[in-house]
Amino acid sequence: MSLSPSSQMGFSGRPRVGLFVTCLVDLIRPRIGFAALALLEQAGCDVVVPEAQTCCGQPAFNSGASDHARALAKNLIKAFELFDYIVVPSGSCAGMIKLHYKELFKSEPAWRDRAIALAGRTYELLSFLTDVRSYTPAGVSLKAVATYHDSCSGLRELGIEKQPRQLLSNVQGLSLKPLAGHDVCCGFGGTFCVKYPSISNAIVEEKARDIESTGAELLLGGDLGCLMNMAGKLHRNGSKVRAYHAAEVIAGMADGPALGEETSF
Amino acid sequence: MTALETDFKPFKTRVEDALANRTLKVAIERTTGTARLKRAAAVSTWPNFAGARDLGRRIKDHVTSNLDHYLIEFERNAIASGAKVHWASTAEEACEIVVDICKAANAKSVTRSKSMLGEEIGLPLALEKAGITRVETDLAEHIVQLAGDKPSHIIWPALHRTREEVAELFRKHHHTPQNSDEIPAMVRSARRQLREAFLRADVGISGANFLIADSGAVCTVTNEGNAELTTTIPRVHIVTAGIEKLVPSLRHAMVLLRLLVRSATGADFTQYTTFHCGPKRPGDADGPEEFHIVLVDNGRTHMLGGDLNDMLRCLRCGACMNHCVVYRQIGGHAYGGTYPGPMGSVLTPELDGLAGSRDLVHACTLNGNCQQVCPVDIPLPTLLRGWREKSWNEGLEPRSVRRALWFWAFAARHPFLYRMATAVAVRVLRLFGEAGWVRSMPMAKGWTSHRDFPKPASRTFMEQYRAAQRRARK
Amino acid sequence: MTSRDLILGKVRRALHRDGVEPGPVTAIAESLLSEPELGRPPLPEGDLRSLFASRVTLPQIGGTVCVVEDLRDVPAAVRIYLEEHGTESPVALQPDPDLMQLDWGGLAFTSGISPDQTVAIQKALWGIAETGTLIFHSAPNCATLFSFLPLHHIVVLEAKHIVAYLEDYAVAAGHMAVPRNANLITGPSGTTDIEGSLARGAHGPGFLHIIIVDKRD
Ligand code: SF4
Repeated sequence: MSLSPSSQMGFSGRPRVGLFVTCLVDLIRPRIGFAALALLEQAGCDVVVPEAQTCCGQPAFNSGASDHARALAKNLIKAFELFDYIVVPSGSCAGMIKLHYKELFKSEPAWRDRAIALAGRTYELLSFLTDVRSYTPAGVSLKAVATYHDSCSGLRELGIEKQPRQLLSNVQGLSLKPLAGHDVCCGFGGTFCVKYPSISNAIVEEKARDIESTGAELLLGGDLGCLMNMAGKLHRNGSKVRAYHAAEVIAGMADGPALGEETSF
Repeated sequence: MTALETDFKPFKTRVEDALANRTLKVAIERTTGTARLKRAAAVSTWPNFAGARDLGRRIKDHVTSNLDHYLIEFERNAIASGAKVHWASTAEEACEIVVDICKAANAKSVTRSKSMLGEEIGLPLALEKAGITRVETDLAEHIVQLAGDKPSHIIWPALHRTREEVAELFRKHHHTPQNSDEIPAMVRSARRQLREAFLRADVGISGANFLIADSGAVCTVTNEGNAELTTTIPRVHIVTAGIEKLVPSLRHAMVLLRLLVRSATGADFTQYTTFHCGPKRPGDADGPEEFHIVLVDNGRTHMLGGDLNDMLRCLRCGACMNHCVVYRQIGGHAYGGTYPGPMGSVLTPELDGLAGSRDLVHACTLNGNCQQVCPVDIPLPTLLRGWREKSWNEGLEPRSVRRALWFWAFAARHPFLYRMATAVAVRVLRLFGEAGWVRSMPMAKGWTSHRDFPKPASRTFMEQYRAAQRRARK
Repeated sequence: MTSRDLILGKVRRALHRDGVEPGPVTAIAESLLSEPELGRPPLPEGDLRSLFASRVTLPQIGGTVCVVEDLRDVPAAVRIYLEEHGTESPVALQPDPDLMQLDWGGLAFTSGISPDQTVAIQKALWGIAETGTLIFHSAPNCATLFSFLPLHHIVVLEAKHIVAYLEDYAVAAGHMAVPRNANLITGPSGTTDIEGSLARGAHGPGFLHIIIVDKRD
């Protein structure tokens, strides 16, 4: 068997996509993973979820523990490098693989090359759907008023801003209200939010106010970490705003429980 | 309480103090909010701002990678213009040079126009120790001096003070204050008060925004005009400048000035941009008789060519702090160093040591907004991450953090083990939840003391996915 | 070892070299500016005089402008300004030959400039359309303090001396000796140091009035 990615193309000529669900989705909200799976299949991909995936290593990387981060990165590279694409329902984890793996392997050229090769085929889910697959949701409807928060890594590292809005504009009945400070950090910052809880709280408190003042019923975003932070604050404050990952809405799964609503699935 | 007292408290206490201070939050938002809007407007009217920003970065990088050349060229031209050029390796040496010049000039009173380098090297304290009266002439620095504070922002040092507080200070300290909380009246009062100081001063001390290598000129920018009154009236003008301030020529300076001013205040150009070149010439109607330039290293050569090399591009515009979600909540004093905000969190460990500023490099969400607005594209998040790595490698991280990360990484390297651990974890997590949310969890106080945690689904994605695969195969 | 040697030594160690050929460095510096458009925003359409005038009178810059046809019309324009602002105190006039030779009528002048000067009149060397900036070079007949001490700063600017960009000034200045002080002035003094709110006349002039002399033919 040849190792070149293109040879992995299935009989149908459909690209083989390795779905990296991310550790948070795996643990907290599997629905996002299933939404991603469904969307990628609708967009004409053969999707595989490699068993060997765990975490991209970002928490270690951002804590300065590069040795740990490198170990996890190697794990992930091995698990995914044979696919045509690796797709991630999170701008932050996609950014980690796309931009930071190569920094980690500055002094390991062989791994650095593998990291760079993988980076070129790594995409955040929503931008993959629009930019690579030219996918347009059809027949999805949701009668609701929503607002959208741009998570920082997706926005600044990967330039994702139009794509989710474009996809959501094809959901019938959904109206998007602009969020003041949609591009301002929500205060999550991975381990930051537990290392410096009171600063993080002050930031997300402001974010919650901005979200409330849009009058939207739904908060949408593309990164579960940030959504958990904002939704957790909104809920603590007694807000009625409910939160979903944009992929859930686009996949027509927003009739199910929102983030934090009782669910077994 | 003044900022000088807060220094001795640990970072987390300083943060709590700042967060509890509602007036501070209002004050920060008034100034930085305006600054953000104005910067955005200024940048949006320049179609290829990105191209100019890249050029700015290349100009500064060119200077740092030829710093020896430009230092020598600048020195030669400055001397030719009649300036005296001094070199200082350390902050102490720089202060000593300045104090000696003041003493030789028999100076009793000096005026200063705002200079962050002066703060960095501790010049205010050094002058005080030498018994020299120091008058800060920048309005904000004047407020800071009256209040016995420290600057809390590099462009608006008194941004932590509301107008009401300033009015109170002026009523207490000015000869003929106006009984008014109206800003123009306060500004007039300061103008009257400081005019006398300008006339009385024996020495004027300024910083430098740029040092022009091909002419030996020193560039200062202000909006108030205090730099020119500080440097033109007294007999002696002393410039203290970091060695990274060099630019090849006036034309290079123009490009950087455009970037600096737009990023700092959102204006296109400052009201007063002055190029000072040597002392008073024969026949000149005014100007200082002596003109001294103190070139200060204080750690810059250590940054050169190393991990912090990019930081030598910094124009000290303050955009990174205006756009920083953390700065906007805690303000400048909580950082505890000379420089606050993202650029401060990068510089303080270099200037004051990493052990004492470990919190600064971690108290950041790495959201990248600072780099995005930085006029010379300094990768501040990357530099902060570099400090974190150093802190990790030097064993400065707390044991609890090291252990938690070790376990996580160990599990994550072994997918089978990881699957089991996560499957258990979601089941345990669910025990704490009710109606979808976890309101309190013993191991996660940092989260649950401020927000609820969404209760996970009953099985992990991987468990569910595998089950579905099995069903499909049957 | 002197600190100079120490610093230069450290710089060179960091740059991994013992010395440097100035020629190539200067050439690289020059090549960075080979595309001047890259370093500046494009000027809007229009002649330089009106571009300059519309910039300097923007509220955020805060200058005022009037246009006269000939240098000889300057005194009248000054008188109108002084009347409008109700100032009768003596005026400081820069001893510039062009200004000195004008017929100022009965206008009272101070000799030199005093710390509490109300009005000073100066002639600018150049104006810059891009930013609405005025340029003064210190000289025996051009005291720097004329631009900073008065409350009202009246500036005479000949339209033919208005250039487009800051770089045009830099090039023009490059042909003359470097002055002790080159002051680039853009509007009256202002400060945003209290709550970010703009107040005029912080230390320098509270008012900047520009009389543009534009000979029409
Ligand atoms: S780091 Fe960049 S944004 Fe921050 S002060 Fe320096 S130049 Fe300005």
